[in-house]
Amino acid sequence: MNFVFRMAGREMRASWRRLVFFFICVAIGVAAIVALRSVVQNIRATLVQEAKTLTAADVIVQSDRPWDDGTRAIMDQSLAAFPVTARTESIETMTMTAPADEDKEIATMIELRALQPAFPLYGDLVLESGRPYSHHLLENRGALVRPELLTRLGIQVGDGVAIGGQVYTVRDVIVKEPGQPLGVFRFGPRVLVDYDDLVRSELLGVGGRVRYQVLLRTDEASIDPLIGTLTEALRREYVSVRSYRETGDQLGRRLGRAEDYLSLVGFVIVILGGIGIWSVVGVFMRRKLKSIAILKCVGASTKQIFGVYLIQVVGLGLGGSVLGLGLAHLAVESVPPGVVVGLSMEDYGVTWSAVLQGVGIGVLVSVLFSLIPLMESRRIKPLLLLRQQMDRPAASGKKTGRLGTIDVWELAAAGAVLIALIALASWQAGDFEVGLMVTTSFAVVAVVLHLTGMLLVRAIEPLGRKGSFPFRHAVLGLSRPGNQTRMILLAVGLGTFFILGTRGIEANLLEQFRMELEDDAPDMFLVDLQPDQVTPAEERLMSLGAREVRMVPVLRARVTGVQGRDVTLQGYEEVREERRLRREFTVTYRDHLEANERILEGRFWDPTPSSEAEVSIEDDFQEDVGIQVGDMMRFDILGREVGARVTSIRDVEWDDARNGGFMFVFRPGALANAPHTFLGFVKAPLDSLARAKLQRDIVAEFPNVSIVDLRDILLTLHGVVEKLALAVTLVGAIALISGVMILVGSVAMTKFQRQYEASILRTLGASGKTVRRMVLLEYGTLGALAGTVGGLGAPLLTWVLCEHLFDVPWQPNLAWSLYAIPLTALGVTIVGMATTLDILRNKPLAILRAE
Amino acid sequence: MIELKDVSKVVTSGSEQLTILDTLNLNVPSGQFLSVVGPSGSGKSTLLGLIAGLDAPSAGSVIIDGEDLTALDEDRLARLRGDKIGFVFQFFHLIPSLTAYENVLVPMELAEAPRPAEKAHRLLDEVGLSDRKHHYPSQLSGGEQQRVAIARALANDPAILLADEPTGNLDSANGRHVIDLLVDVHRKRKTTIVLATHDAALAARGNVILTLRGGRVDSLREISGDKETRAKPRVTASSPS
Repeated sequence: MNFVFRMAGREMRASWRRLVFFFICVAIGVAAIVALRSVVQNIRATLVQEAKTLTAADVIVQSDRPWDDGTRAIMDQSLAAFPVTARTESIETMTMTAPADEDKEIATMIELRALQPAFPLYGDLVLESGRPYSHHLLENRGALVRPELLTRLGIQVGDGVAIGGQVYTVRDVIVKEPGQPLGVFRFGPRVLVDYDDLVRSELLGVGGRVRYQVLLRTDEASIDPLIGTLTEALRREYVSVRSYRETGDQLGRRLGRAEDYLSLVGFVIVILGGIGIWSVVGVFMRRKLKSIAILKCVGASTKQIFGVYLIQVVGLGLGGSVLGLGLAHLAVESVPPGVVVGLSMEDYGVTWSAVLQGVGIGVLVSVLFSLIPLMESRRIKPLLLLRQQMDRPAASGKKTGRLGTIDVWELAAAGAVLIALIALASWQAGDFEVGLMVTTSFAVVAVVLHLTGMLLVRAIEPLGRKGSFPFRHAVLGLSRPGNQTRMILLAVGLGTFFILGTRGIEANLLEQFRMELEDDAPDMFLVDLQPDQVTPAEERLMSLGAREVRMVPVLRARVTGVQGRDVTLQGYEEVREERRLRREFTVTYRDHLEANERILEGRFWDPTPSSEAEVSIEDDFQEDVGIQVGDMMRFDILGREVGARVTSIRDVEWDDARNGGFMFVFRPGALANAPHTFLGFVKAPLDSLARAKLQRDIVAEFPNVSIVDLRDILLTLHGVVEKLALAVTLVGAIALISGVMILVGSVAMTKFQRQYEASILRTLGASGKTVRRMVLLEYGTLGALAGTVGGLGAPLLTWVLCEHLFDVPWQPNLAWSLYAIPLTALGVTIVGMATTLDILRNKPLAILRAE
Repeated sequence: MIELKDVSKVVTSGSEQLTILDTLNLNVPSGQFLSVVGPSGSGKSTLLGLIAGLDAPSAGSVIIDGEDLTALDEDRLARLRGDKIGFVFQFFHLIPSLTAYENVLVPMELAEAPRPAEKAHRLLDEVGLSDRKHHYPSQLSGGEQQRVAIARALANDPAILLADEPTGNLDSANGRHVIDLLVDVHRKRKTTIVLATHDAALAARGNVILTLRGGRVDSLREISGDKETRAKPRVTASSPS
């Protein structure tokens, strides 16, 4: 063992220069992973913060009944086991309000929330006056209200409003309020009052829907166990327990995509680094043929020799990883805080977990990608020493272009490497299927490239006897045993494949984000318009500066029966057993499909109204319940029984819900006489004054209508998407740059293999021009072939990942693939030429002697 | 000591079968200095390779010190070489990344010999390289490299020293120096030496000259050596037809 370590040390001392590139590959890979990890962590932290602001707590316990002593006791007992750092209660209810000034004969529905002093546990309550929120503003019957209420009631700050028989003074106007979930329709403007004031009022005794909430703050790790314990303890009490995470769904999906992408890119950079490592070790081992043969000749066992080089690999992997950690730290530090808006990096430091992860991955990848080239050492026979041309790679005894004997150990190693890569990819992408897909595509492209190399060698071999001197020698160069053909094809081909693949995914994701950002979605909703109000309201809205108005009929419906091929549900009792069907649905009727809908099965009706009811269902009902085209469904629509035949099944893109999404859409006609109201989708004027005037005037004219303004929420969402898009772009650039650097290095490494031949040709009188032409032909061919395989494979990777991982519509970037072919050829040729300069500049003897 | 029984070596080159050694019998008792001569391609290097276990015969067996090499795997062969056989090549074959001193050290470290550093220094002193111990092979002349190679071959005090054209790449002065060293080793250490060369004058420094032609024994000629050698068992060689 001692020998192995001493020998490894000596070898490193002498050949570290040739292994510098190895070192750099590991460093780049590790730096990328660690830096990306911290970006991901910071994005997650930012969004977790946003999500917590939406609930104002980590955990919310909610009940429709007041907390009785028994429930409180159970709750206190359950919470005692957890580090709950803050606890506050609130009550939400819907009620009517009117101005205290009884001359104003107007009343409106409000969403009242009563708060204790500790609210909010997360986020800030922003007030129009600019002063910070304090609970004192609510004490002694103070109220904070949304601006809509002022316009609706025609009152101002300082005026009084009557709520539940008490008069509250409006003390300020709410601009932004934590604890309002995204996308939840409100029944009226929000009013905040003091908890004790509300409890003392008569309001809670009169029935009506009241929600009693306990808001908790605890640490991240305790959230899930705490929810589990509370849910179990309170299961008899009609209590719901949820965490902030369930609220952040809309943000979560986008974050999920961005995170997956970042992790994937991290892994791809590591693979690119691995390809670089593999190419260095391959070249390195060829140069070590002689030393290995000598060691075997003087009594070293295969195991000892393997050990000598494995130790070097591990040592370099370790060193490279440490350098990578430093690079990552520098990179993250050097990003000016202004550039990555919102991705606050202050939490980033070289934590122990990051160090361990980075170093672990660095060493693992070094070993994995070195394993196969290192195994060559087993094949080297000391007999080579009796031959003269011994340090030529031909001596390895393995002919390129032939499969050769199958080596059980090498196969086993290849299998182990593949499994380890799948595991590594799954870990990095956080998903086994993705790891499998990425690694499989990697293996497939590698095999295709290998076969391409074999075919190329076989196809051009006969050409080696014809043509000009440089041409013949270029052909010989490509097909001679131990050439660089396989190395360049594999390294450059795989590199192109991954770089283009990630670029493709980046483009698809950015396209998706861009669509969301440019998407000029309706930002204001009018609820409860009566049928006779639709036309006047439309006209009024347009005259007030609305950019677009769409009115959608909505009905409340319950499913009361299904008579189908695969499923039969008789009556409401049976329907209730079906989780997906038991709730009340908001349904609509129309004569067309929306842009976010697609027919999967059946046929969407003609635009003509029909008296026989037809319904189109969302595909979940087919998948989960088993309702098929042709089945009959029965609905209860505000007391009226309606039977409808299922004539089509739709896929609804819920992310793109600018026109709303409906589980059930009916054919116009049958429901025309059913009681229904209209929902107005309005693109309100962007100017805030015009917006306020619109709200005021509409409410004045149509007092029964509620207005929900989503602009703030949409702006928040846009902000998040913008940040994600920026992160994706940044990371894409990192991948591109580091990938190209590694490829340039891999190609440059092959110079060690060819400088000997070039030097001999120079000695024999070949001009610089001849040598350059040879290189041009050789490297140009290899670059073009590698670019073709990698470039054509990349759209496949993009497609698979877009469909299966990112769930975004795939748009092929074939143009990129086509550009990639000449660009790769050019790049490989330039690098080949540049490394040959060295040979042309130096005296051939120097190189021959050094060999 | 060295025993070859009906050893043949056939290699396939393309579709042709090439016989390099043709049913060779050879017996080299301990302490002999055998020179193997013959034109290029007569099988000299192959013979040495077979004795060192660097190559396996197509037929027949190679027995070193009572051990049949054909029955050993690569690692056992390597250990046997490390213990019993020193090899000197025409092209020196030093490990380029190690200094002269380290090149000599390696076989002893592999064999876990006691106090290897001391011995490496002494061996290099013996071959006259006291002042070049910490030079790399590329910084040494051909003659110097070959002397390092001899020191390395002697590191574990092998019973057998095989030398394949050791002077083939050296000028005559350096070549003479190297041969003097080998003769010296034979005389002082009683090492069994097999030397392959096509230089008749060099071959004459041994006790017995075996001439190979087309992979077969052409002649075996004894040279009047010293009394001690003459008293030893004879070298025998034959290629039955």
